[in-house]
Amino acid sequence: MHQYLNDPIDVSVDFTNQRVRPHTVCWDNQMYKIKKVNLVHNTNEDGQHIFYFSVSDDANFMKLRLNTQNLEWRLVELYTD
Amino acid sequence: MSIILHVDFNSFFASVEQQANPFLRGKPIAITGKRGIKDMKRSIVATASIEAKRLGVKTPMPVMEAKRICPELILLPGDMRKYSEITDRMLRVLRENSDKIEQFSTDEAFADITSIAQDYFGATIIAQIIRNQIAQACGELCSVSIGVGPSKTIAKLASGETKPNGLTIVQPSEVISYLDKKPLEDVCGIGRATIKHLESIGISSFQTLRMASMKKLVHEFKPITGMWLYNIARGIEHDGVNDSQEDPKSIGHSYTFAHDLEFDAEIKTNLLSIADTVALRLRKMKFKAGHISLLVRYNDFSSNHIGIKLTNSVNDGLSIYKYASQLLNKVRDINKPIRLLGISTSQFSNLEKPVSLFLKDQKMQSALCAQDCILEKFGNRALCRAATISSVFQERASGWHYDHQL
Ligand SMILES: [Mg+2]
Repeated sequence: MHQYLNDPIDVSVDFTNQRVRPHTVCWDNQMYKIKKVNLVHNTNEDGQHIFYFSVSDDANFMKLRLNTQNLEWRLVELYTD
Repeated sequence: MSIILHVDFNSFFASVEQQANPFLRGKPIAITGKRGIKDMKRSIVATASIEAKRLGVKTPMPVMEAKRICPELILLPGDMRKYSEITDRMLRVLRENSDKIEQFSTDEAFADITSIAQDYFGATIIAQIIRNQIAQACGELCSVSIGVGPSKTIAKLASGETKPNGLTIVQPSEVISYLDKKPLEDVCGIGRATIKHLESIGISSFQTLRMASMKKLVHEFKPITGMWLYNIARGIEHDGVNDSQEDPKSIGHSYTFAHDLEFDAEIKTNLLSIADTVALRLRKMKFKAGHISLLVRYNDFSSNHIGIKLTNSVNDGLSIYKYASQLLNKVRDINKPIRLLGISTSQFSNLEKPVSLFLKDQKMQSALCAQDCILEKFGNRALCRAATISSVFQERASGWHYDHQL
């Protein structure tokens, strides 16, 4: 199932080699440990610099949105087989 | 002699989606032009994954038909911002490994590697370096096919040879025999109309094309096309890799609506939005347009196309809208709902300082200037006319560019 969402989430990240790597997502009272960061892209939306992280664990794909202006994370896509 | 390399992503949008989401890998997926289940079903398949193609899905194909052929097809709306970043990464890799590059579409580009490669042995190595670096920058799933040859036409033909992940090299001495194995329509630039015309004069292959004299081809096809055909059959091409983006001959925008338009108010609103988009594009290129044409397509796929030459060239949305609106009133069949509207502008003059003597025009120019500054800083949606607030266009890729990069 593929869902398009816009839910605020908590994300813990690693900072290594001047890169951000999300490793845990807390959404809907549940913790998801990220196994893979498959693609990172960034874009300018209405003057704000936004990063998107396409990540997955063994069962879910998540697209995370980081607004660099207010450091807010959101879950914008969720895909489960 | 030049050594030209052509890079072509395989099933581009679908591969990027499979790179981002591992659960889509190995599955038939299709990228459509629209968002939302209802709109997606009305849309067309823009890109199909290799798996979908194997099951018979073609591009472009109406989504309904694709679903009938392949019921398990997974539909996804396009995410142009994701794709555009991958396009940029590919272009960056090419630029680092060549003298000149020319983007040919969202997923294709040419590179002139003559001096870096030196010979075809060097070209093979450069091609492999480029392939590895693209995989590293874009992800393993975003694979490319590469063709190398002495001209753009041959390089492009060669990259289509093996998909996915192909590398085909055609050396100058092999060009003629390589061409002779290809049907004429495989060459970029020989379209259906040309094929028909060629067939009518007994030409159906590169061998028979080579037998035609230049005089005959020029007589049949006018000088530019005739000469080009004469040369291409001999593997000769004068058009090199054009690095600086050439000034376009026309700038336009068209849109297929999520539902067919029937009411005057929504038709006007959407036409105004399209006019504003075209105007913004014109001003970014520092152009004013001297000709405007309008395309209207109805829900039965019939269409009207009409143009007008302007006495004063324009670059603001309202003026473009007014002309387009006049054209629409002239041709519109009011009994048919409208599926698509498009405005195209041409005959450009370069935009200099405002020369109008009228205060009203001067004020318009400075207002446009201020508007462009705001859009530049805060994004294209930061400012719009109250009248167009309800017409939101979904971002797409068309031809060379992505809408959001306007
Ligand atoms: Mg391609």
